[in-house]
Amino acid sequence: MAQARAEQQPATGTTLIVLVGLSIAFLLFMAFLNVVKSGNILNESNMLYAALIFYAGAGALYLGFGVTGTDSYIKFASLATWAGLVANTLAVAHRWYEAGHPPFASIYEMLLSFVWTLAALTLIAEKRYGVKVIGTVTMPVAIVGVVLMQLLRTEVHPLVPALQSTWLHVHVTLAMLAYAACALSFALAMMFLIQDKMKTESFLAATSMFTVGIYAAVLSRFERWGGLNVVAWDAQNKSEVFISRGVRLFVTIPDLGWMMLLVFAAVAAPLVLYVLFRLKKNDGFLAIANRAVFISILLQILALVFFLLRARDGQYPSLDAEGLYQTSLAASPFILSALVGGIFANLLYLLLLWRRPDLERHLPDADALDRITYKTICIAFPLLTLMIAAGAYWANRAWGSYWNWDPKETWAAITWLVYAGYLHMRITRGWRGRRAAYFAILGFAVVMFTFFGVTYLLPGLHAYA
Amino acid sequence: MALSFRSVSRKIWLTLSSIKTGVILIILVVIFSVAGTVILQRPITDADDMQRAYSPTMLRFLDATGLTDVFHAYWFLALVVLVSCSIIAASVERFPNAWRFFARPYKSPDEHFRRALPTQAQIPITDEERGLNAAERALRQLRFGSERIVHTNNFSLFSERHRISELAVYMVHASLLLILLGYFIVDARYGWKGFLTLIPGSQSNQVELTKGVTRTLPFSIRCDGTGEETYTDGTPKRWWSKLAVIDNGREVQRKEIVVNDPLVYEGVRFYQASWGQTGKLDQLILSATPAQGAIGAPKEISLTPNQTVALDADTSVQVAEFIPDYVVQDGQVYARSNDVLNPAVHLIVTAKKDKRSVNVWLPEIPGVGENASSPYIFQPKDLTPEVFTGLQVSHEPGQWSVWGGVILMAIGLTFVFYVSHVRFWVVPVRNGNGQLALWVGGTANRNRDAFEQKFKQLVEQIQKELKPKDVASAPAQATTTAGR
Repeated sequence: MAQARAEQQPATGTTLIVLVGLSIAFLLFMAFLNVVKSGNILNESNMLYAALIFYAGAGALYLGFGVTGTDSYIKFASLATWAGLVANTLAVAHRWYEAGHPPFASIYEMLLSFVWTLAALTLIAEKRYGVKVIGTVTMPVAIVGVVLMQLLRTEVHPLVPALQSTWLHVHVTLAMLAYAACALSFALAMMFLIQDKMKTESFLAATSMFTVGIYAAVLSRFERWGGLNVVAWDAQNKSEVFISRGVRLFVTIPDLGWMMLLVFAAVAAPLVLYVLFRLKKNDGFLAIANRAVFISILLQILALVFFLLRARDGQYPSLDAEGLYQTSLAASPFILSALVGGIFANLLYLLLLWRRPDLERHLPDADALDRITYKTICIAFPLLTLMIAAGAYWANRAWGSYWNWDPKETWAAITWLVYAGYLHMRITRGWRGRRAAYFAILGFAVVMFTFFGVTYLLPGLHAYA
Repeated sequence: MALSFRSVSRKIWLTLSSIKTGVILIILVVIFSVAGTVILQRPITDADDMQRAYSPTMLRFLDATGLTDVFHAYWFLALVVLVSCSIIAASVERFPNAWRFFARPYKSPDEHFRRALPTQAQIPITDEERGLNAAERALRQLRFGSERIVHTNNFSLFSERHRISELAVYMVHASLLLILLGYFIVDARYGWKGFLTLIPGSQSNQVELTKGVTRTLPFSIRCDGTGEETYTDGTPKRWWSKLAVIDNGREVQRKEIVVNDPLVYEGVRFYQASWGQTGKLDQLILSATPAQGAIGAPKEISLTPNQTVALDADTSVQVAEFIPDYVVQDGQVYARSNDVLNPAVHLIVTAKKDKRSVNVWLPEIPGVGENASSPYIFQPKDLTPEVFTGLQVSHEPGQWSVWGGVILMAIGLTFVFYVSHVRFWVVPVRNGNGQLALWVGGTANRNRDAFEQKFKQLVEQIQKELKPKDVASAPAQATTTAGR
C-alpha cells in the first residue's frame, strides 16, 4: 500500500520541480561563495556545507510534500534531515576538537549549536508528535543559520579569561535548547493558525507587513543618490572597520539603494491592495494582491542576487573617510539574512495560497496543535529560567555581580516575562487558540531580538556573543 | 466612614490581586526595561557620549525623569514593589482554596460529584470485596498506593499521587518574591560594589565605590604577586593574583585568584577584573662596562627605583626617572602615554671622590643626556615594568536570597509543568438495573492526555484482575492485552 503510493506521480510536479531547481541554483551559488576548501574531506567547513545541502534538500522536500501531498516525500525529507543532522554533528565535533572547548564561545559557534538543536527538535516533533510539515518552517530557518555561518568569522578563537568557565557551557546549552524550543513553538503556532481556518488574506497581510518591515529596515541604510550603506570590511583582520570605539565605517554601494527602493515598492503593493480590499470589500483587489506577491518574489530574488554580486567584494567610497574601502558579505550578515528570510516568508505564503486544503489534511487538528504549542512552551519556559539563573551565577563569579542590567540580560528577562504572561493568560484566563498562538509568535520575535538584535544593535558586556 | 474605608481597601485589594493587574504590570515592566536598553544609561555611558547622543533639552528631560538610569530610578523600584504586592495579593487571594484542597483531600465522592466527573467508567462485578481487591491490585500495578475509606456499611478506595503539585504555583511565586527581595531590597540597601587596585607588595583597605567615594574595609588585602599569561597571538589567556587577607595585623587567609574564581572574606568578594602596567618601573637589569682603563668583563647589575647600587668603590648608580613611552620635544623628554611602548631610563651615576653626578639616558638621547662623560657604558639587558591587579570588590548579602529563590523556582516550575496531581476513586455501586458494579473515576490537574491514557490502563487492569485465575490460558491472554 505504502509502496503503491510512493510510485504514484505527484499531482503538481511542475511546482515542485521549479522549487527544487531554485534551491539547487541557490546552493550552487553558495558553493561559489564558499569556495569549498581543500584538504581533509571531513573538515568542518565541508561538513557544514554537506549539512547545508541536506537541509536545503529536506526543506525542498518538505515544501514538495506540502505542495503535492505525496507521502513518500516526507520519508525522503526526514532522511535528508537525518543526513544533515549527522553532517552537522560531525561539524560540531570537529569544531569542538579543534577549539578544545564546546562550540559556544562566539556567535558563529552558537549558530552551529542552534541549527543542530533545531534539526534535532524537528525530527522529534515529526516522529513523536506527528507534526509532519513542521520542516517547511524550521528547515528554512536552519538554512538561513548555516548561510549566516558561512559568512561569520570561523577561526577558532582562544577563550578570553571571563569565558573559561563550566558555567559558560551550562548557560549556553540551556539558551540554545530554550531558543530552539521557542522556534518550534513559533512554527507550531503558525500551523495552528492555518488549521484554525485563519483567512488566507490575513496571512497575506502578515507576510507583506513582515517583508515591508524588512525592506524598511534595509532602506534605513539608504544614502543620497541612490546608494546603500554597508559596513566596510577589513579582509586582513577579518573584522569590520571601526572609526572609533563602537563606531563602524560605512561604505556606499552606488545604485543599490534604488534597487531596494524598487523592491520596497513591490513588496508594499500587496499590502496596499490588501488595505483596499478591506476598505472596498472587493475581491478583485485580493486577486491582484496575490499576483503582486508573485512579482515581488521575483524582484526580491533579483535584489538578493544584485546584493550578493555587489556586496560580495569590491571597493567603494565612504562618506566618512577619504579613499575607497573594501566590503564583503561577511560585513552585512543581517541584511543578507533579512533578504533571504523575506523570500522564504513569501514562498511559504504562496505555498499556503495554492495548496491550503492539502496542507490542512496533513497537519494534526487545531486542538492538537494548540496543545503541542503549549507543551513546547512548557519546555521552553523552565529552560529559559535555568538559562538566566546559570548566566547570573556565572556573572557573579566572573564580573562580581549576578545582575548588571546589561542589554542582553535585560532582554532575556523581557523574554521570560513575555512567556510568563503567556502562561498566566493561558492557565488562569483560559486563553486558547488564536490569542495564545499570537502570544507564542510574539514570544519568538522577542527571542530572535534577544539573540541577534541585542548583539548587533545594543552595546554591552555580551560583546562576544 | 469606616465602612467606606473598608470597601475602598477591599476594592484596592481585589484590583491588586486580579490577573489583569498582574499582566498590566508585567507589560509596564517590559516597556520600561526596553527603554532602559534603548536609551543610553548613565553610569555605563560617560557624560561626553551622552551629550553627543542627545540634545541638551532632551538630555535634561531624560535625566529629570530618570530614563537615563531606568533600573535604579525610584519609580522602577516602585513598579517592582507594586508587582510584588500584586503577586502577594493574587497568591493570598487564591491560596486558601488551594490549601484546603491540599490539606483536606476529597476522599469519598458523593453521588453528585460522581455524576459530574468527566472521566469515569463502570465495571460489572459479582462481589464487592473481590472487586475492591482487584482494584487495589490494579492500582499497585500502576504504582499508585490506595487507601480504604470506611463508610457506614461498605468501603471505597481513594488513591492519589503528587498532591504537592497543587501548591507548586505558590512555590514559584514565593521564589520570585525571594529573588526580588534579594536584589531590589537587600542588595540595593546593604550591598555595594567597588574597585581596588594593588601593585605587588602593597596592601590596602580602601575600596573606591564611585569616583571620589571610598569605603574603608575592616581588614586589608595584600597583593603578593600578579601576572598575565597570553596565547601565542597575544590575547590574554589568564590573569592571576596572589592575595592575602590581613585582619588585626594577622594574616588570616591566602588565595591565588583568577577570573571566575574570587576570594571571599566576611561576605566581601574580591574578583580578578583587570590587569595592566602602571607605567612605572619594577626592575631594570643592566650591564655596565668601564669606559676607561682595563676593559673587564661587563658587570651585570639590577636596579629598582629608589635604590642605589655601587659599581665600584667610588661610583654608584641609581634610577632617577622612568619614562614608559617617551618623546623628545625642544630638548625635553615627555611621556606620551603610560603604556610601556617606547621606554627611556634616566640614570644618575655619582662619583664619591669628586662629588660629580652624570645624567645618563638609555637609550642615548642627543642633547639631553651626558652619556659620553659617564665613567661606565650601560647596556640595557632586561626591563620589568611595574604591574597592577585590578580587583572588583563587592558585597552582596542579598545573593543568598536570590540563589534560594532560583532553587525554589526550579523545583516549583518542575512541579508546575511536569508533575500533575492525579486522583482515582473506586466505589462499589448498584447501577440502574440493580446490578453490582465498580464505579471508577479520576481526575488530574494538568496534562490531561497522559491522564486519560493512565485511566484507560487502570480500567483495563482492573478488568484483567477480575478475570478468574484458574483459566489456563489466562497468562497468555494477559500478555496480548498488555502488548497491544
